Amino acid sequence: MAPSDVITHDVIVVGAGLAGTWAAMSAMEAGVRDVGVLSKLHPLRSHSGAAQGGIAAALNNVRPVAGTGPRGPLEQIPPDAEPIDSWELHMFDTIKGSDWLGDQDAIEIMVKDAIDIVYAYEHMGCVFSRTPDGRIAQRRFGGHSTPRANYAADWTGHVLLHTIHEQALKHGVKFYSEWFALDLIVEDRVCKGVVAMNIQTGAIIPMRAKAVMFGTGGYGRAWKITSNATANTGDGVAIAYNAGIPLMDMEFVQFHPTGLYRHGILMSEACRGEGGYLLNKAGERFMERYAPDKMELAPRDLVSRSEQREIDEGRGVEEDGQGIYLDLRHLGRDKIMERLPQVRDIALKFVGVDIIDGLCPIQPTAHYSMGGIPANADGQVIADAEGTPVIGLYAAGECACISVHGANRLGTNSLLDASVFGRRAGYAIAEFVKGGAALQPVEGDPAAPAQRRIAHLMSDPPGGKGESWAALARALKETMTVNAGIFRDEARLKTALADIRALQERFERARVMDRSRRFNTDVLGAIETENLLIFSEVIAVSALERTESRGAHARTDYPKRDDENWLRHTLAHKTPDGPALSYKGVTIDWEKYPPQERKY
Amino acid sequence: MATNGSVPTVTIRIQRFNPDADKKPYLQAFQVKAPPGKTILDALHEIKEEQDGSLTFRRSCRHAICGSCAMNVNGRHMLVCDAPLREHVDRHGVLTLRPLAYLPIIKDLVVDRTSFWEQYQRVKPWLIPPENIPEKEFRMSAEEVAALRDAEHCIMCGACYSSCQVIALTKQYIGPHALLKAFLRVLDPRDSAPAERLADLDRGDGVYRCHTIFNCIDACPKGLNPTEAIETLRKLVIKRGAFEAARAERQRRLDQPIEVVGEAPALSGGE
Repeated sequence: MAPSDVITHDVIVVGAGLAGTWAAMSAMEAGVRDVGVLSKLHPLRSHSGAAQGGIAAALNNVRPVAGTGPRGPLEQIPPDAEPIDSWELHMFDTIKGSDWLGDQDAIEIMVKDAIDIVYAYEHMGCVFSRTPDGRIAQRRFGGHSTPRANYAADWTGHVLLHTIHEQALKHGVKFYSEWFALDLIVEDRVCKGVVAMNIQTGAIIPMRAKAVMFGTGGYGRAWKITSNATANTGDGVAIAYNAGIPLMDMEFVQFHPTGLYRHGILMSEACRGEGGYLLNKAGERFMERYAPDKMELAPRDLVSRSEQREIDEGRGVEEDGQGIYLDLRHLGRDKIMERLPQVRDIALKFVGVDIIDGLCPIQPTAHYSMGGIPANADGQVIADAEGTPVIGLYAAGECACISVHGANRLGTNSLLDASVFGRRAGYAIAEFVKGGAALQPVEGDPAAPAQRRIAHLMSDPPGGKGESWAALARALKETMTVNAGIFRDEARLKTALADIRALQERFERARVMDRSRRFNTDVLGAIETENLLIFSEVIAVSALERTESRGAHARTDYPKRDDENWLRHTLAHKTPDGPALSYKGVTIDWEKYPPQERKY
Repeated sequence: MATNGSVPTVTIRIQRFNPDADKKPYLQAFQVKAPPGKTILDALHEIKEEQDGSLTFRRSCRHAICGSCAMNVNGRHMLVCDAPLREHVDRHGVLTLRPLAYLPIIKDLVVDRTSFWEQYQRVKPWLIPPENIPEKEFRMSAEEVAALRDAEHCIMCGACYSSCQVIALTKQYIGPHALLKAFLRVLDPRDSAPAERLADLDRGDGVYRCHTIFNCIDACPKGLNPTEAIETLRKLVIKRGAFEAARAERQRRLDQPIEVVGEAPALSGGE
């Protein structure tokens, strides 16, 4: 490895999706002069760009045609008509969607800022679809009681990501493309920088900054069937945990109801928002049994569980019975071509089905990480249940747990969360830096541990043959899918935990085949696998302890929500004996939004 | 194709090159099974994980939206994540993968896209909005949005760029990807600097450098048409004064509702 030359910035952001890019741009807009953004990909390859269906905000552009019911046609709201939507309604839907585990103060901020941030995107040039009179078009989405998903065809994330990246370039943000973060430099709850690898050269570089912000994305790659990009290996979450930061609510992982059969690729919830059906082997719209009111537009946790139940009870489709059909045929060619062009393409190319006249096989797919690095509504990372901040460290987007999604996220709230809290973190960082924050002295060579890890991966294995990280990753995905998936119980979670710990041990013997310095994706794959193994243990331990069912965490041995004991967030700290759990209260407005039974 | 039971085995020849170790690029052959549904990217993962960990390529999203995995497949540029393996092997069961053409090789299938991104930045890809920003959204008609649809959908994968015969000759040329981005901004009713943008394109390395060979259309994995966008820009370059005046006129009504003639198109929802 190359000698360590130190790079210094006022602010270093890790991750160039919506959260990271908003933070970088907003910090510069607010007067910080020197912001560097690291991404292990080119910024425009970030996974925010894969989001399809929309971004939620109560803009009041669209309403259901009077007298047509909850799945009837929509029309633009006439200028003088009563509004049908409000941030309060958006707030209630989000709280109910979260199964009351979301922190209501943070949710309030998000839904209020939603309106402004969607207009901000529009003013920055984002090409939204439109109503006839030229306003931003809106569609229905699961768990939202009004049509408030603001969309650009079915590539909303793509246009938002490109728009915000362009703005960051305009503001002079410096991007480090294909730099891979390895460690956080944190001492006594003060963050001093990060250590990263320049992938192209293989050099390990300490990077010092007055503030560090993580927008590193989610951790869906721990499952076999996932909608997530290969990049979503939870690196930021694992790095933070290794640096002594607790992880919050890691047991809550969302399975999206419509992953493409066998591939897991996202088939947007907009398919159902536009009126699509879910059918079992008998051709029944089985959601009638599980959510008679909302049907296919119930929230994702509920729909995925319903699908899994149909599959488990022998009513699945395809040769192995592990699929469900998504039926869009009745929407007609025009609507599909205009509103769902990307999902049509995906189904055509990957399973050879034209959704215009064919049934598309789908299955639940690991999709979104509700848990992550605990942070407050300014993106400031907190170190404990009392909310003690880690000075100079911020997080937003999917890697963070603020917590606005609680036990289950509503569709279109993730682009929103990443944007709103990315921007807020950027402003908070600007205040911190302009308020006199200084570069902190760093003891010793912070790059040394990463250098050692990589040298170890490149060394000769004891006894000749090392383990393959890829095989370990496959074994992990297998056990997480079987034992820590949609339905869980004590026995399965214990099996998962034992498997994960055995795999962690085997990882000690993992070695790479590629021993060159230049663009070594073998080393990257190994470190990403190590990261998967680190946070998966936290997921299993947190899920095992939580003896209730809430949102996306469904325990067949504890099928009921238990507010008396479990209306609280899990915090997991790293110790030599594995994750040590503690708990943190949920912020609830007991007068306005007290916990209720969650029915759709 | 050699068959093993019902699943054929195919040969993938991959151009390898590590500039630190190799004098020049060479082809290396790997054998993989080719069941239905397997993509070229799946095969690359399998080779890397089970046969040669040093094989180097870019990828991320797996469904043709991130733009990472564009490469040369049997002489054509495409994304390998949504390319079925079986459809691309010849009758001898062989498939050849090379990196995107006309760009420096970093390692194996990974190229240096620096010139590509420099041209993207050169056209100032960001919107230059009018001075008066409305409280709510700018109003845009369905037709105005439809005109931008191709350009907004571009994923910047570089397949067009590496297929362009002009790029093969000179990296001074802006290139189809950046011209498509320029088109997006010039045609957007919200952009206030179309004349300035068009003036920048009215140069030897701008719109006139395109020789309308149509390779970009053929290469685009999203089915977009950069050549047509370049043609439109050429026409607008000539009459940019009038275009700018029309834009200024349009921008006076950007906060006003679009008037719909005839029956309004249907919105979302409805079974």
